[in-house]
Amino acid sequence: MYYYIYDSDLNNKKYNNLVSRIETRLTDLGINGKINYLSFLKNIKQLLTEEIKRGVKTIIIVGNDQTIGKMINIIADFNVVVGIIPVGPKNKIAKFLGVPEGEDACDTLSSRLIEKIDLGLVNNYYFLTSIESGGGDITIECDNSYIINLEGDNQINISNLNHYDETACSPTDDTLDVFLKNIEKKMFKKNKSSFSHIKAKLIRITSNKLIPILLSDERKIIKTPANIKIVPKKIKLIVGKKRIF
Amino acid sequence: MFKENPIVNETETIIGPSVRVEGDFVTEGNIIVEGVICGTIKTLKNLRVGSKSKIYANVTAENALVSGEIQGNIKVRGKLELTPTAKVFGDIKVGTLLVASGSIINGKCQMGSEKDKSPKPDFSKQVKIDLEAKDNQTETEKPSQEKTKSKLRVKK
Repeated sequence: MYYYIYDSDLNNKKYNNLVSRIETRLTDLGINGKINYLSFLKNIKQLLTEEIKRGVKTIIIVGNDQTIGKMINIIADFNVVVGIIPVGPKNKIAKFLGVPEGEDACDTLSSRLIEKIDLGLVNNYYFLTSIESGGGDITIECDNSYIINLEGDNQINISNLNHYDETACSPTDDTLDVFLKNIEKKMFKKNKSSFSHIKAKLIRITSNKLIPILLSDERKIIKTPANIKIVPKKIKLIVGKKRIF
Repeated sequence: MFKENPIVNETETIIGPSVRVEGDFVTEGNIIVEGVICGTIKTLKNLRVGSKSKIYANVTAENALVSGEIQGNIKVRGKLELTPTAKVFGDIKVGTLLVASGSIINGKCQMGSEKDKSPKPDFSKQVKIDLEAKDNQTETEKPSQEKTKSKLRVKK
């Protein structure tokens, strides 16, 4: 049994045509189901708990990266299969998972190629793709065994499912990829940047100052100190053949 | 035929020039070090140490290419290559060693394994040759030889 969660933006007139085409295709493929639009007024967790009790085994998120980011946190604790239909701008996750945009995604859903995927956990908050931070005087402790001290202007990117600087991060390898970019500013010359890449399962970010950590999926900010870890094989996702991992 | 998607790289850890790592750095993949590491480095694969990097640690790797400075013992099972800018202050235990002119090694170097060593012959079983007794023996043999020679002449 399928359950569809639509982004609230899909109520917009410009998506009417696309949404009706998607719904027709889903009916043709015989995978149509109950539809619910996201809204501030609805308690989605409660709604999902009730629907799962009624026998829903597949939840399809219709929207963009932000919609998926919001829903991942709620769905992660349920034992269901999750699929996506990318609609609207910013659909990086769909690209990484090999799911085509719009009505073509319905065919990927019907082929039902399921992959168990890791999730990142930052201060008890799940993330699928990556988290970002930056600044100076930051200490990163990895796997309780070594410490990385960062000075100067740094960009930190901790990825589970991402494609950073020509490096594809696999969400099935039980590790998080830590990318560190140091930018050395020079007066009359080009800025010099150096790059570091480390793999770790348990990360702790601390700093003298409060540093914001941005969840890329959801545009949510978490402050330091941050405990980040990988939760292996946490979610079952429907993926396409053209996925990056 | 031509893949559009990027391929996931082989596990590779890169420590950039601005990064300073303290502690036990243990990985299963290749390591490239351009920065500073204090503690221990252990990898099951290859290690590359850049020319500006400094390692104050004991290093264990399968193969290693060193261009920077290492202060600590190195244990490499396969090949260790030291480029002209390499500086090693510590003992080296290695399978195969390649040293370029200009590189510095300060420490003991052990190459190969105990298996390569040929077995030591057992010298204890060998009997000591008594040279004096042998000389006496040759003197006694000489007149008899002369006698035989004279006999031969008589026969002719």
